[in-house]
Amino acid sequence: MKRLLPVLLIGVVGVLIALPWIAGPTLIQFAINALMLATLAQGWNIIGGFAGYASFGNSIFFGLGSYGVAIAMVQWNLPFGVGLAVGVVFSVVFALAMGVPVLRLRGHYFAIATLALSQVMSAIFSNLDIAGRNIGLVLPLLRSDTLFYELSLALLIVATLIVFWLSRSRFGFGLIAIRENEDAAQSMGVNTTRYKVLAFTLAGILSSLAGGIHAYWITFIDPNSAFDLSLNVKMIIMAVFGGPGSVLGPVIGAALLSGVSELLSSTLSSVASLFFGLVIVIAVILMPKGLTDCWLKFPVSRWHYFIHNIRQYRL
Amino acid sequence: MTTPILSLKNISKRFGGLLAVNGVHVDIMPGETVGLIGPNGAGKTTLVSLISGTLTPTTGDILFQGKNITALPAFERARLGIGRTFQIMKPFPGLSVLDNVAVGALYGTTTTNKSLSQARDEAMEWLRRMDLHLKAEQRADELGGPDRKRLELAKAMAMKPTLLLLDEVMAGLNLVEIDEVIDAIKVVRETGISILVIEHMMKVIQSLSDRLLVLHHGQQIMAGTPQEVLNDPRVIEAYLGKRRV
Repeated sequence: MKRLLPVLLIGVVGVLIALPWIAGPTLIQFAINALMLATLAQGWNIIGGFAGYASFGNSIFFGLGSYGVAIAMVQWNLPFGVGLAVGVVFSVVFALAMGVPVLRLRGHYFAIATLALSQVMSAIFSNLDIAGRNIGLVLPLLRSDTLFYELSLALLIVATLIVFWLSRSRFGFGLIAIRENEDAAQSMGVNTTRYKVLAFTLAGILSSLAGGIHAYWITFIDPNSAFDLSLNVKMIIMAVFGGPGSVLGPVIGAALLSGVSELLSSTLSSVASLFFGLVIVIAVILMPKGLTDCWLKFPVSRWHYFIHNIRQYRL
Repeated sequence: MTTPILSLKNISKRFGGLLAVNGVHVDIMPGETVGLIGPNGAGKTTLVSLISGTLTPTTGDILFQGKNITALPAFERARLGIGRTFQIMKPFPGLSVLDNVAVGALYGTTTTNKSLSQARDEAMEWLRRMDLHLKAEQRADELGGPDRKRLELAKAMAMKPTLLLLDEVMAGLNLVEIDEVIDAIKVVRETGISILVIEHMMKVIQSLSDRLLVLHHGQQIMAGTPQEVLNDPRVIEAYLGKRRV
């Protein structure tokens, strides 16, 4: 299995790269969305899965990335690439400025504070002339789903490689120590503040790039769609469902849940989201550490795996 | 005259109306094991937190190897060589026993980038010395009482500290287990580092310390050899009551 995994991964990536020349436009549009969600889930994985800080502020970075591209292209007539860089600069500044105070909070307080920040950002952009106030901005049209698809795929691969590096680096190990016990990590020499802010920034850069690509693809943004909280909820669900703190879990979670959600909404429509919620509740109860953990341990302990989880997390 | 590893100069800590630590002076010399005793609420754990940097003193200075560290945050003190264990054990519950210790080897006094496998090798070495190597792959929260204490020791020692603060390591252990952990602490002491032991149990303090300090209501009321201290009437009254140990 260990030997097979790299071969399998290279095969999957190869097929994904070739997909625009194989599949139809509907599938490609679905895939662009799924790749974007996977990148966001992977970004959330860094701050939420590794460092253990359940951020509801990652959609802010998505929004900043979207506005970076939109403002650069529409207001300043700059090329798309520069727009992405502008978005990244917005996100880094935000992560450094807000990360320091907000990351002092722990647990629920951190979640609530980031939730509030996201509302504040939406309100601020609704009142900025340069961002088109609450009407939004219309970007130049570029009809090339293949380009957006390949860009999204490249970004997801970069994000996953970063997380892979994290999983075997001193920095990543420090983040895990913070998640497991922040006081102990601090007393063992981990510069917790710096690590948390760096993780927040790294997650922010990835989310921002995803937002920038999305804005140019969709060609229209307004404060509500750019700072959409449900997007943040989606990335958390996908990362947690797949396996927070693992390398491939968030990607697998995003792929599976995007697929299920697409199938359900096209056949069942209104009851789809209800069913979707049910699946997630059951998944969280039976396999709180995600699909990857289940995949590794189910063959050994069989059904006891689920019983053990229910007991261990006192549900 | 050698410089002390640690000196506390007139350290006080106030929590609102409570003066938890009141004008304490302590010098710990290289290689020395100092015991700190005192009744509940005497300010022992507060003093440890002040040394490790979890708390900052209201007044006074803390010198580590002659350098003033009063304003340094906890992680920088750990990097300088102050390791500690917690009275309420703080393992990394979801990590394996080996990885718990590897965090110490990866951080602690090492500031250069070290590979994970190298850190795990060093961690394994300390697990062997603490007799925990057979449980290296277990999750830390699956360990029982004395093993958890050994894990705390291994984690702190993997940091390669020059001063180790042991905050009531024996709490919750039975007599047999206490002997086991005393042996483990003796292994640590043989490395030649300085140790500050906080303990309730006289037996532990007597068998480990070169020198004893007694805190009462945040004030240091006595210092000396274990024999002197435990026979002092003030200590007996404040700490041991009327009963002799």
